[in-house]
Amino acid sequence: MASLAVRSWCAKRLLPMVIPSRSCSEIRSEGLSPIEWTEDTKNIVITPAEEAELRILVKETTDLSSLSGVPEEHIKTRHVRIFSPARNAMQSGSFNTNRWSIEFDNRERWENPCMGWVSTADPLSNLNVDFINAEDAATFCEKNGWSYYIEKKQVATFKPKSYGANFSWNKRTRLTTK
Amino acid sequence: MASRLCRLIRPAVAGLARCSQMPRRATAALQHVRFDSTTAGESLKPTIKNVAQTVEIAQLEKFGHYVAENLPKFVQEVRISAGDELDILVHPEGIFPTISFLKNHHTGQFLNIIDITTMDVPTRKYRFEMIYMLMSLHFNSRIKVRSYTDELTPVDSITSEFHGANWMEREVWDMFGVFFANHPDLRRILTDYGFEGHPFRKDFPLSGYVEVRYDDEERRVVVEPLELAQEFRKFEYSSPWETFPKFRLTEGDPETPAPKEPEAKS
Amino acid sequence: MASKVVLRGIQEVKPILSVNKTESRRRALNLYRAWYRQLPYIVTNFHIPLTTTQCKSRLRSQFNKNKDLKDLRVIDMLVIKGQMELMETVNNWKQRNHVMQLFDDFSAASKSKDFLSKFYEGHEQ
Repeated sequence: MASLAVRSWCAKRLLPMVIPSRSCSEIRSEGLSPIEWTEDTKNIVITPAEEAELRILVKETTDLSSLSGVPEEHIKTRHVRIFSPARNAMQSGSFNTNRWSIEFDNRERWENPCMGWVSTADPLSNLNVDFINAEDAATFCEKNGWSYYIEKKQVATFKPKSYGANFSWNKRTRLTTK
Repeated sequence: MASRLCRLIRPAVAGLARCSQMPRRATAALQHVRFDSTTAGESLKPTIKNVAQTVEIAQLEKFGHYVAENLPKFVQEVRISAGDELDILVHPEGIFPTISFLKNHHTGQFLNIIDITTMDVPTRKYRFEMIYMLMSLHFNSRIKVRSYTDELTPVDSITSEFHGANWMEREVWDMFGVFFANHPDLRRILTDYGFEGHPFRKDFPLSGYVEVRYDDEERRVVVEPLELAQEFRKFEYSSPWETFPKFRLTEGDPETPAPKEPEAKS
Repeated sequence: MASKVVLRGIQEVKPILSVNKTESRRRALNLYRAWYRQLPYIVTNFHIPLTTTQCKSRLRSQFNKNKDLKDLRVIDMLVIKGQMELMETVNNWKQRNHVMQLFDDFSAASKSKDFLSKFYEGHEQ
């Protein structure tokens, strides 16, 4: 059985992937004979050392959506929001606010007729992937074939205020009512 | 007869008990014996990891540098992680040479492959971190070889060196989709036939994309797009307070070795 | 080793199997041919409720879906996965329901999409 897999990867680089015949049935093997190769590719032998040096040129960003296993209806139609999560409103700690996450557009939700739960058919609604910066997230979305937009991060500006400044002698902080 | 024996033994036992500072309440001789026979004192120690002595760590470091000196083309970094574990970070081209060196070199003899696994970090350019764990029975020592790859870069299989790596590599292929070149029998091992996707990737949803049920009309099992009766609710479990600033994941994190091409042979 | 020419948006990578377009094309065609020749046996073996011709057009559409791929590595990976699928089918490792997954678009189309069935499922649209 092992012989049936993609094997002898190295030695057979230029040979076609051959599906060997099954011993149990000769009829089956009819359609499985290796295809003929032209003379120029037949006798080329590549050594393992040469093998390691082989390189090909490809585009920098490759669309992997055909490989990722994501169903087609969740590739072309989805829109991703790249955002930096806001600080927890109930606590003043700001940890975890420097990461970036992705979130998908909302899909139809309905009330479960039996239990009244909120049901959905969107598997990507529970996806949680974090990134260090927005560019990484954007590259990730490009790789997966999702359209995206980057939401600008809200940065709180700190305005120093002091009560004493109200009585400053050289600033026009007190307005006369006269 | 028995009582006379007990009377003879009792003072000796009592003396023992006094020496080992046992609770005075236990008066019966047999109870004393029971307390003495158990190693109660040792089991009261806190259950923390016993980090090796500095000598041993120095030895590990020395061995790590030795490996780096022998394989300068491939080894990118040598480090001690988690207190006393030796990590060797190599270029993906160097996985096979490094592992065969560790296995076959007399000073290593890492003859056992413990596990091959992968860590998925989608934010990195080479998102999969390959981790090979080896053990040397001869020197009672363990080592980890780490490397990196992405979805499309094939990694050399180490099956010709370790036959036990066969299924582990199939597992990694199945769960993460890392392709192993020269593997004798690379096919799925854990997922069902016809399953699409790689479940251990970080971008694979918890629920998966499809659901499976038996259909009475079709008289077979059918696969349908997922429909959740109750949607997952999102909770933020992580604390807003920074607990381990030392392990903060930032850009240029030492755990992400910059991919560098192996130097040309000198 | 590494060529000095720096092209924008182009990177030099390790190939999976094919080193040029011709080779990857051959691999894809070869896989198509293997599936094509196996289809009659698959149809009889797994009692597929379709004719061989229907299955062949289905196969063609499956291959055509990826006809615009450019990256040799992606094509190779798909060929490898397709080859594995073929092995699983030809060796009877798969059961009938697994093979039927490949042809399920047909049965999905025949599924009733009328108002009442949707209403029973609890959908609005």
